[in-house]
Amino acid sequence: MSAEHRRLGLAALLALGAATLPFWAADQYQLHLATLIAAYWVLIGGLNLVVGYAGQLSIGHVGLLSIGAYAFAILAGKAGLHPALAVAASGALCGIAGLLLGLPSLRLPGFYFAMATMAVALIVGEVVLAQGELTGGGVGLPVPGFPAPFDSPAGFYWLTAAAAAVVTWLTWNVARRMQGRGLIAIRDSVVTAQAVGVPVLGAKLRAFVFSGVCAGVGGSLFAALQSYITPDTFHFELSLFFFVCIIIGGRGGILGPFLGVVVLTALPELVSPLAKLGNFFYGLLLLAVVLVVPEGIGRVFELVAARLKPRPVESVPVQPDLPRLARALRSNR
Amino acid sequence: MLSALVAGLATGAVFAATALAYNVMFSTSKVLSVTTGHLPMLGGVAGAYVIAGLGLPWWLGLLAAMGTGALFGLLTELVAIRRVLARSDEHLWLLSTLALATMVQQAVGLWWGTEPRPFPRLIPQDFSAGLADQKFWLPIALAVAMAGGLELFYSRTMAGKLFVAMSEDAFAARARGIPTDRIRVASYALAGALGGLAGFAAGQLTFAYFALGLTLTLNGFIALAVGGLGSNVGALIGGFALGLLNALASYWFGGEYQQTIAVGLLMVVLLVKPEGLLGSKQVRPV
Amino acid sequence: MSPAAAAAVQPGASLRAVAVTRRFGGITALDGVSLELRPGEVHGLIGPNGSGKTTLLNLLSGYYEPSEGAIALGNEPLERAPVQRRARLGIGRTFQKPRLLPTLTVLENTMLGAWPHARAGFVETAFGLPRAAREDQAARSRATELLHGVGLGHAVARRANLLEHAEQRFLEIARALAARPRFVLLDEPAGGLSTDEIDHLGGILGTLREAGIGVLLVEHHTDFVFRVCDRVTALDLGRMIREGTPAEVRHDPEVIRVYLGA
Repeated sequence: MSAEHRRLGLAALLALGAATLPFWAADQYQLHLATLIAAYWVLIGGLNLVVGYAGQLSIGHVGLLSIGAYAFAILAGKAGLHPALAVAASGALCGIAGLLLGLPSLRLPGFYFAMATMAVALIVGEVVLAQGELTGGGVGLPVPGFPAPFDSPAGFYWLTAAAAAVVTWLTWNVARRMQGRGLIAIRDSVVTAQAVGVPVLGAKLRAFVFSGVCAGVGGSLFAALQSYITPDTFHFELSLFFFVCIIIGGRGGILGPFLGVVVLTALPELVSPLAKLGNFFYGLLLLAVVLVVPEGIGRVFELVAARLKPRPVESVPVQPDLPRLARALRSNR
Repeated sequence: MLSALVAGLATGAVFAATALAYNVMFSTSKVLSVTTGHLPMLGGVAGAYVIAGLGLPWWLGLLAAMGTGALFGLLTELVAIRRVLARSDEHLWLLSTLALATMVQQAVGLWWGTEPRPFPRLIPQDFSAGLADQKFWLPIALAVAMAGGLELFYSRTMAGKLFVAMSEDAFAARARGIPTDRIRVASYALAGALGGLAGFAAGQLTFAYFALGLTLTLNGFIALAVGGLGSNVGALIGGFALGLLNALASYWFGGEYQQTIAVGLLMVVLLVKPEGLLGSKQVRPV
Repeated sequence: MSPAAAAAVQPGASLRAVAVTRRFGGITALDGVSLELRPGEVHGLIGPNGSGKTTLLNLLSGYYEPSEGAIALGNEPLERAPVQRRARLGIGRTFQKPRLLPTLTVLENTMLGAWPHARAGFVETAFGLPRAAREDQAARSRATELLHGVGLGHAVARRANLLEHAEQRFLEIARALAARPRFVLLDEPAGGLSTDEIDHLGGILGTLREAGIGVLLVEHHTDFVFRVCDRVTALDLGRMIREGTPAEVRHDPEVIRVYLGA
């Protein structure tokens, strides 16, 4: 259990650092980056249940992000709705979009599903361009901000970080309970999932709809942060970025993908040649991870730790305790 | 109207050729590679670079297109397929080919530029030829020839028969001493050369454009799934059907919803006939 | 057993296959076979490779639908019921090649078996309502007991991909038992086990029998089958050639001819 405690300690430290970030950030740009990471995480945290836990390779989540962002911009801007209501509405809308997309496509085998999600990302782009009166077409759309106290950079950061914290809490609850085990069973062995009674399509669909709601909320915050959105804001490569964060961070964890999004967002800003290489760099990282450590970068640390402090697994013969088994079988039948 | 149909058939031919490349790789590896659409993209860019950029004759451009495609096919097999197939996780190949596709697209974008560039004329012909223009009939003729050629290859040649044996049962093929690794490499090189050829033939229609790959990966796959995975005739039918549907839809409704309509077609076919028009049902035991 | 599902089936009901036939394309893998598995009975299923043993197991657990014939639990017809419904009704199984979740611990693999008893849904779990935690705690303590019971107490916190072969087999049994099944269908559980481990397996099967669980044992170790089973069914080429007590089946001339050898 000590590993569990260490992980919780690290998470608490991260949370403390994130909560006080406006006080120690060097400049407004760092604060902006941190807000961006939080908005991304709202989406990626939800997507993590789909990709990292249930193993469904959705490469088109930028489509849902785009729907959420445009819904927020239109509702809070043109329609003059209160931004809080607009966030809720775009979350709901993206949940419904997730349902409509997931219901047919989650039945399909992996590659079909990936292609379907990718197609949806392209379709959303098409529709945004075609419905110029509503979305501003190629010109784009201004996005209103939030009212006080969230109208300052620090205030908006705290709002976004709070949303990210809520998403983290929700996914953590799912991940460590029976629901999370069911999703992992779907990822690692559908046959096993069926054998123990997990409704495969239903469980996938729930996770996918949840990721849709997260994408809607994340998209709203993302749009408000950008303050102006165009179809180019939601290029397909952004989707790849979300996806790569999770795969590199490691499937089946929360901390790994979170560190993934932090590092992959911050790194190109710090090392400018990487920004020029852009997707080539993400592709290379993804390829390296898949070929060398398919379990994600976190696995490297585990392996190093095991090398430094070897704990040999001693072979113990299986020795059933039949009276105890009988008691366990009898208990509260 | 007629011009819309011809243009649709030509676009469909590119989708069909991509679907054929999918089939060649799928037959030996049971992998659907995300890099498939990037093969024609590479062919188009390589051809345009050699002919228009370096001023060399067209047949050198053709060689460059097919060679680049074949090389990239080889690279795909060696880097993204071989090591991954040895593992049990069935989704890893999707990730590795996606990674490779992203890298090649970005690399071409950085080197070639992100704007579509025109592809040179291959055959001396006036631009007023209209429907008889080579940019339409070259890809159409090529896609049909490719499908026919593949069928002949599978039924008449020893190498083709080995492909078929491996596609039916790779384990049995290996047990009978067929060098399955080498055949898989060969199939990826063949698919690469064919994909490069298709991109070369369709260059005047699609332009030499770095972002073509992903579009073709998706639309070629739709053509494949509609026609039935594994069927070359199905790939032709699926490609042409998708191209015609796109053309008619833009003729009647304007060109804004092409992708939407393509995916709509896919969904309808998958709901009615999940194995595609000419595909075979797979029995999957526990 | 979840309450709603349990209400549909009377206690003491048996799991039956009645004249089931299963064809794959032109091949008839199973041809009009009947089998009754009673609670508290260890029932052996033997036969040469390709005789249809695993096919019958897959028909009973729901991975295949019969081409003809009926599957029923008591009065409840099951031949069209999906695998998951049968799991909720108390039909558990193991696999010839153990199918574990490699990244989870042995304990969590076992807890997964208690899925049919978890009533807390996705939203309830996400919002951290107490029922999900309570159910998890119950599943955890019961899984721990089961693991000690089958002899995996030393490996509770180990990742499943680090288990040895025998441990994997016993973990699969523990996972099936975590669902509180009426019946468990074991697909070659003795495969690859040492003599000692097979003896332990025999002890576990005896305990299951005493607890009133019906066990279907698909197995090639005929000595083991005849030793631990109450009844045995022998298949050949998709047909049943003999059903009876171990002594009857063992001395049946047809069984000796096609399977046991002289």
